[in-house]
Amino acid sequence: MTTTAATPRTHEPHTGHGAPPRRHWLLAGGWPRAIWMTGLFFLIGFGITVGLRALGNYEPALNWEPVIVVAALTAAPLGFLSGLGAFDYWAYYALGYPTRAEDHSSHGAYSWRDYFRVNTDHKVIGIQYVTTTIFFFLAGGLMAMLVRAELARPATDFFDTQTYNELFTVHAALMIFLFIIPAFAGLANFVVPLMLGAPDMAFPRLNALSYWLLPIAGTMLLASFFFPGVGAGWTNYPTLSTTQPFGNVFFSMAVQWAGASSIMTALNFLVTIITMRAPGMTFWRMPLLVWANFTTSLLVVIATPFIAASQFFVMFDKVMHTNFFDPSNHGYVLGYQHIFWFYSHPAVYIMMLPGFGIASEVISTFSRKPIFGYRLMALSLMAILVLGFSVWAHHMFVSGMAPYLRVPMMVTTLLIAVPTGIKVFSWLATLWEGRIHFSAPMLWAVGFVSMFVIGGLSGIMLGAVPIDIHVSDTYFIVAHIHYVLLGGSLFTIFAGIYYWFPKMTGRMYDERLAKLHFWLTFVAFNCTFFPMHLIGIQGMPRRVATYEPQFASWNLFISISSFVLGASFMIFVYNMIVSWRSGPPAPGNPWRGMTIEWLVSSPPPVFNFTQVPQVVGNPYEYGVPGARHAILEGEGSGTREVEAR
Amino acid sequence: MLRRGAVFALITIALVVALVTTAVAYFVDWLPEQASEERQGIDLVFYVTVGICIFVFAVVAAISIYAALKFRVRPDDDSDGSPIHGHTGIEIVWTAVPTILVTVIAVLSAVVLAQNDRSKGTVNRVDVLAQQFAWQFTYRDQGNAKSTQLYLPIGRSTRLLLHSRDVIHSFWVPEFGQKQDIVPGIVTSLVITPTKLGEYRIICTELCGLGHALMRSRAIVLSEADFRAWARKQRRFGGTGTATTGQATTGETATGQTATGETTTGATTTRGGTNVDVKGVFASNCGGCHTLAKAGTTGTVGPNLTTRKVAPDRAEDQIRHGGGGMPPFEGQLSDDEIEALVQYLTGSK
Repeated sequence: MTTTAATPRTHEPHTGHGAPPRRHWLLAGGWPRAIWMTGLFFLIGFGITVGLRALGNYEPALNWEPVIVVAALTAAPLGFLSGLGAFDYWAYYALGYPTRAEDHSSHGAYSWRDYFRVNTDHKVIGIQYVTTTIFFFLAGGLMAMLVRAELARPATDFFDTQTYNELFTVHAALMIFLFIIPAFAGLANFVVPLMLGAPDMAFPRLNALSYWLLPIAGTMLLASFFFPGVGAGWTNYPTLSTTQPFGNVFFSMAVQWAGASSIMTALNFLVTIITMRAPGMTFWRMPLLVWANFTTSLLVVIATPFIAASQFFVMFDKVMHTNFFDPSNHGYVLGYQHIFWFYSHPAVYIMMLPGFGIASEVISTFSRKPIFGYRLMALSLMAILVLGFSVWAHHMFVSGMAPYLRVPMMVTTLLIAVPTGIKVFSWLATLWEGRIHFSAPMLWAVGFVSMFVIGGLSGIMLGAVPIDIHVSDTYFIVAHIHYVLLGGSLFTIFAGIYYWFPKMTGRMYDERLAKLHFWLTFVAFNCTFFPMHLIGIQGMPRRVATYEPQFASWNLFISISSFVLGASFMIFVYNMIVSWRSGPPAPGNPWRGMTIEWLVSSPPPVFNFTQVPQVVGNPYEYGVPGARHAILEGEGSGTREVEAR
Repeated sequence: MLRRGAVFALITIALVVALVTTAVAYFVDWLPEQASEERQGIDLVFYVTVGICIFVFAVVAAISIYAALKFRVRPDDDSDGSPIHGHTGIEIVWTAVPTILVTVIAVLSAVVLAQNDRSKGTVNRVDVLAQQFAWQFTYRDQGNAKSTQLYLPIGRSTRLLLHSRDVIHSFWVPEFGQKQDIVPGIVTSLVITPTKLGEYRIICTELCGLGHALMRSRAIVLSEADFRAWARKQRRFGGTGTATTGQATTGETATGQTATGETTTGATTTRGGTNVDVKGVFASNCGGCHTLAKAGTTGTVGPNLTTRKVAPDRAEDQIRHGGGGMPPFEGQLSDDEIEALVQYLTGSK
């Protein structure tokens, strides 16, 4: 594992005047303190719950259900975060201890241990995000394999129905909340400050906290297998969710932790992008990845509180016997779906726009051409952002909502195809007359465009209400979301990981293995998901463990393909691990890119830039003689010292 | 920018891709059998949209395949492409053409949707009661006859009024195309106008719990005469409860009958003039979750009733009040049916 060990430590940890004093190892922020504080906070939560119940004469005083919610799912994670040191600086400040705002003691990675602590370096956090999310991707993928094993034959073969329902629910929740959304956040965490010419994110300590919420959410989802109840699908519709066994609260609380992480990161991105651009970096000179994360962050900040609310309501109905969704007590069952989809449709774009950004970077660089129609590309992101909030009810065409909502929602849904189409055609026009290098990142990016077109076209079919009525809740939907989220999001995540792997690790990956990975995934992916369109239209509903024999042969074919698909990711994991340990050293700019992250060494210095870069032109001026995006090392005018910012 | 040779190559690739995809669309039997007027509209939208999709896909595929073959360079080629930053005319075209295409889809869809919501001919009203994991149908215009399979007259519309007892379910018959969620607390509705005699699958498509995959029934389309005859027979024999005031009172009217003169023959119990097809009742209400060899059911959600022996009052209590994951059937089944089931399951008289 290569770190920035070779880089001289430019800022020593400040232990002298003005810094908090060194503490005993059990009291200093870190894993030992995290372990005992997790236990301590659990006991505090336990005491509060049981004590209050005893005081109020509730029978029985020791009721494990509120204890789990308060002590295990709320207090203990806070204890873990405090113990690890995520709140140390703020706590010292609030308690009046001496603090230094520019304390860099927790910045940068000098050994592998620095990846396992609260680290304020956006590059370390980016790598923490990406590796953690890949872990959850593999866990979620394993669940998909188990689901497909069950579906290989029509009868129930391996799992009882409750376990099966939990498998596909946790699969979806992990992939959405702990893989795609945070994986993009992780890549952007690493790249965006570099692209902006900034030394770090605007709020490095908040950034560290956002990351450490993720393992908590993921652990809760994995732990839910020991507490049955997360079996209502990732949509968790009441009244099924409210009548599930108690374990359903693990889903509700995991979503809260993951959602809080998303919101904090998004705020951080917004402030960073708005206030920390290098001199000369106007909005119209920002790389499209930055634009994409800007719009994504707006979506996250506006929409995520809605899913938090919807899951709180479900949990309150379960734990506190409120009546948000209980029809026998004037609850409004469909209200849940409106709130849920008001987040979860924009969430589709939260999972897609950063991928658009990555595809734009990769396609432009490997075609050696400026991105076609740069301004329209940025504006179409904004159009998707605005339209994205007006289409949520297309998930509810058969839900029983007011019928007059259907046609307006169909029109806005179909209209989103226009800005999306602009992006696809612009990528194709960027390829046109380029000098195309099909390196691994480019294969993934072009593969993404072709697969996303299929997902987009099936999306148009779903947007048309009469077709949607027929195929809602069938395997057609399963096929569509996997073309969008696997062929779309996952392909761009791989494009991004391969593209920035040299920058992140300072090593080159094995190009042949990367290409093998792409082709195996590409073929197996299509064999797995394309036939699902057919069996869906013909009448196979989703979320079933048994099905009619008429679908048996297609399902067997799909299951076998899916195992190949699963195996193809092992090539990726092998390639990443081996290349990170012993790949050939990477040059600063292996792809001859123009954006600022390629102007610094691989991996970048701990504080990114010794001097602030001066942005002098557009980010994709390939083929324009003498054109540059930015100048480093005092070549241009207006360079300033980092400290002067 | 575009040479003649490139245009020719692009059009050729696009035509080949379009032909292949059209063949896939045409020769693979995508849609299930069509058995309702509503499905005709749905199929029309489907084919128009698929046509537009094939057009778009062929264009995209042609450009990317051509670009990948033609503009690819060797890894050691360090030259750059031509610095084309954009072209306002082309950008207007690829904004306008998709807008027009989706407008066509939207208008067509809206028209078909309006037609599919409207009933045709003398409407036949049926209340659908969905619960974990069974269907019950009450025929408002046939003296509130009840059944666990859906009987429909051909050639005129049936309006289903859908009620849920517990969680959200969804009613779908692929051959009819129409689908509607059944939401506790509100009544939803759905129009079906069958055009073909036969038996079709009723599928619950909204995850509704452990027995979701087994929440199935049949929709049986009869000729008008057969439908009337069936309805008459249902009324004469009481079907599952001859209540005249709707489902809520089903249980009460049935309790008036005395427990005398009952004969149990095979799977049919006749009590006080009421004919209960107990095997059918079991198959459609219990078989989704329970295995029972003599009823030919293979559900695995609940206990296997072929092997488990239950005391009669224990069985009756369980059927009436549910518990342990099983829903209560009191009110859903008539007293006659419950008693018949208890006898059928425990062998008691």
